[in-house]
Amino acid sequence: MRNRIPGLRAERAWTQADVAQRVGVSRQTINAIETGKFDPSLPVAFRLARLFELRIEEIFLDEQ
Amino acid sequence: MPALQDAGYRDSIRATGGLVALTIAWAASLALARFGPGLWGDSRPAATWAAVIANLVVGVGWIVAMTRFLRAIDELERKIMLDALAVTLGAGWVVGFGYIVADRAGLVPVEADIAALPALMGVVFSVAFLMGKLRYR
Repeated sequence: MRNRIPGLRAERAWTQADVAQRVGVSRQTINAIETGKFDPSLPVAFRLARLFELRIEEIFLDEQ
Repeated sequence: MPALQDAGYRDSIRATGGLVALTIAWAASLALARFGPGLWGDSRPAATWAAVIANLVVGVGWIVAMTRFLRAIDELERKIMLDALAVTLGAGWVVGFGYIVADRAGLVPVEADIAALPALMGVVFSVAFLMGKLRYR
């Protein structure tokens, strides 16, 4: 699943580790989500949405 | 927000510690059950039964600790671990039943040691886990 996390992160000058710490997952998890290798659970998706003050569907893009 | 990761980290450390402790206890109880009879002789079957039952009880504790560990770790780590466990279970299942069928058909000339199966599963798990780590690097 594609997502806008790298861009949203860059706008705020946050590192992957910064996002990981704020969301409560490992940096590897954020990296795997960003590269589309791993789809996060719903709780993590909601935490990301709260962090970036967006709706989930504004962060994650359905490719179908 | 940092509290989120701190709490998760604490849970993960606690669960990992529990799993390590139970793994050591299980290995020790297994060694006692396996080598104990050689120490106290065949004249004390009650002691051997106690060692075997202790090993089973600690083993159940290890299963509970493993479940808690899987719940506590980071979700990507959990996926890598579960994928590796699935491959390990599949390999053990396929190789185990393959051996039984071949043995019953008289195709296996040598008597295999049952201890080879968990050793094989350990190797398969290690390789699968490493591949998972590399895949999501």
